[in-house]
Amino acid sequence: MGAGSSASLLRSLVKREMQSRYAGSALGAFWAYVQPLLTVAVYFLVFDVVFAMRMGEHAPTERVGTYLVVGALPWLAFADGVSRGASSLVDSAGILQKNALPPMLFVWRSVLASWLAFMPIMVLLAVLYGFITGHWRAIAAMPLLLLLQLVLTTLCGHVLAILTAATRDTTQVLGFALGVGIFLSPVLFPLSLFPADWQWALYLNPMSAWVLAYQSVMLSGLWPGLQLWGIMGLWLALLAGVLVWLDHNSREELVDWL
Amino acid sequence: MNATHPASLQVSGLGKCYGVYARPQQRLRRLLTGAAAPQQHWSLKDVSFILHKGQCLGVIGDNGAGKSTLLKLLAGSLQPSQGEVLRTGRLTAILELGAGFHPEFSGLDNLQFAGGFMGFSAADMQRLTPSILDFAELGQAIDRPIKTYSSGMVVRLAFALVTAEQPEVLIIDEALAVGDQHFQKKCVDRIESFRQNGCTILFCSHSLYHVRQLCDQVLWLDKGQVRGLGRTEEIITAYETHVRLQDASAQPEGAVTALSDKTNHPVVEGTAKEPAMAVAEGPHAVHAAIVQASMDGLALPTQGGRPTLQTPDVRLTLRVVTPDSQPPSLGFMLEQFKGVGIMSLATHAEGVAPTAVSHLPGRSEWVMHLRLPDLPLHSGTYAWSFYLFDAQGLVVCDEWKNHIVFDWISPSLTPGLVRLPHVWG
Repeated sequence: MGAGSSASLLRSLVKREMQSRYAGSALGAFWAYVQPLLTVAVYFLVFDVVFAMRMGEHAPTERVGTYLVVGALPWLAFADGVSRGASSLVDSAGILQKNALPPMLFVWRSVLASWLAFMPIMVLLAVLYGFITGHWRAIAAMPLLLLLQLVLTTLCGHVLAILTAATRDTTQVLGFALGVGIFLSPVLFPLSLFPADWQWALYLNPMSAWVLAYQSVMLSGLWPGLQLWGIMGLWLALLAGVLVWLDHNSREELVDWL
Repeated sequence: MNATHPASLQVSGLGKCYGVYARPQQRLRRLLTGAAAPQQHWSLKDVSFILHKGQCLGVIGDNGAGKSTLLKLLAGSLQPSQGEVLRTGRLTAILELGAGFHPEFSGLDNLQFAGGFMGFSAADMQRLTPSILDFAELGQAIDRPIKTYSSGMVVRLAFALVTAEQPEVLIIDEALAVGDQHFQKKCVDRIESFRQNGCTILFCSHSLYHVRQLCDQVLWLDKGQVRGLGRTEEIITAYETHVRLQDASAQPEGAVTALSDKTNHPVVEGTAKEPAMAVAEGPHAVHAAIVQASMDGLALPTQGGRPTLQTPDVRLTLRVVTPDSQPPSLGFMLEQFKGVGIMSLATHAEGVAPTAVSHLPGRSEWVMHLRLPDLPLHSGTYAWSFYLFDAQGLVVCDEWKNHIVFDWISPSLTPGLVRLPHVWG
């Protein structure tokens, strides 16, 4: 299958995925946008309005709500994309076993369909923060950060999809990891609240570097530091290496395992 | 149909090995370390052949011989463990029709989407859609969700889509039996027209009759390996012998007793069945079917058991109904009971046609008499089977297998099966 027809097939797969996810519901694809917005709104309402929590001295912003939204939205996007990506191959077993199609198309389909739901909200958020804070120069880093997060999500999703094909336990482990992962990241608490000796553990969560970068851009008005770019690069290289290895070992049997 | 045409499908040393994993941990280990599977099962090994443009290859073999694996490898939905498949042009596989349709979406939506799987662009689909809709005959239903369709309707839509454009190579897996009789006929006609236009066909079927009718070459697979490859008649004959030997060693004799029906024509084993394809849809209410098959001169024993033929002058009558006024082809087959085939006759092959008894709109009745004036068989038990085909003898509309089983006591006392015409010198 040529690159042109693969791209056009991917487009129709993504469109179909977005339609079918909400097929039979009155609001349709609208739900894709409403779900994350509502979740973020609840975070804001509970921590910022109801409990009126305020950040400490070293935090990049005073209002907890403002802080939470910047980290939570990208995290939700990552968690949604990765879990949909992880189940993408097993869910498409019927189609893959009966058609001559490259399996990776179906990972990309699931991750992209998820991404297209979160992307407009993230862009909206960046623009909103731009107007509030005036950090336009730093916010110019957003397109690159978002693109790299898409690459990260796709790589994670693909690795996990192959692991899920080999053993369905992956789904259970992933559910737990995503539930715990938010605590092992600076989404809910600023970096300064973590004990200095244990801060390295945050980077076991690949999203920590991205969350810190988003906070730096939107809250502090600073381009992410070299260290953050370096960690992001390391994670992407590591995952790409793992993916190549797993793909090499499973290529011949992958569809049989589904 | 010969080797001077360019090769459209070239298969060399093709094999598929499945890893057998007792536990998911073993799969994980294979994935992480690249270690070989703990156990391996070769479902296909060392298959090589070349198909030239316009050739039609039949693939036969017992269940589990590797036929489906071969077809999936050729279609590209399975990755080979060894060997390679080279082909020129587009390949279309009629394997599992309707796979990939989404139940919530309309027929038309699914058509556009599934077209993408087959490599059709949006522009292609726009061009092809009218002819697909025309062929599938779904009418207004095309705008309804697929989940409201009958299985026959889904298959009709899928068949119309995959055969919308003539491919270079067409792979068919038992797909001649699609939908109701009327649609089955359309499918066969379409495949036949592809064949006439020089499409290379690979046809996998348990119906040796169809393989004989369609294919000029046959590949016989046995336990994943090529047991025979060559001219149709030669390979099928060898396969039939193999099947007979298998049956003989598997089944003890004498499991059948005679029954009698009201018409005094004994019906033994394999009684009148439903027509082979009984999916009633659309306006084609009357199905082509055998209504009566009888043989004169049989006497039933007083204490039950098989009837005995009283005369060497055999007279058979076969009555059938069809939905249209085109004379069908009728088939008669005589076999040694639980043994070899002795003769088969089909009216289309002999250039004769049954007589019309009546023509009503949507229902015609036909009758054919067959006479064997001097039955040349030695003593034994024999069985007649009856078949109803379409006019070209491609679609089997109905079959009554082993419908009449009878004993025959021959005046000749010498051993043997049949008394052939002979001249002493």
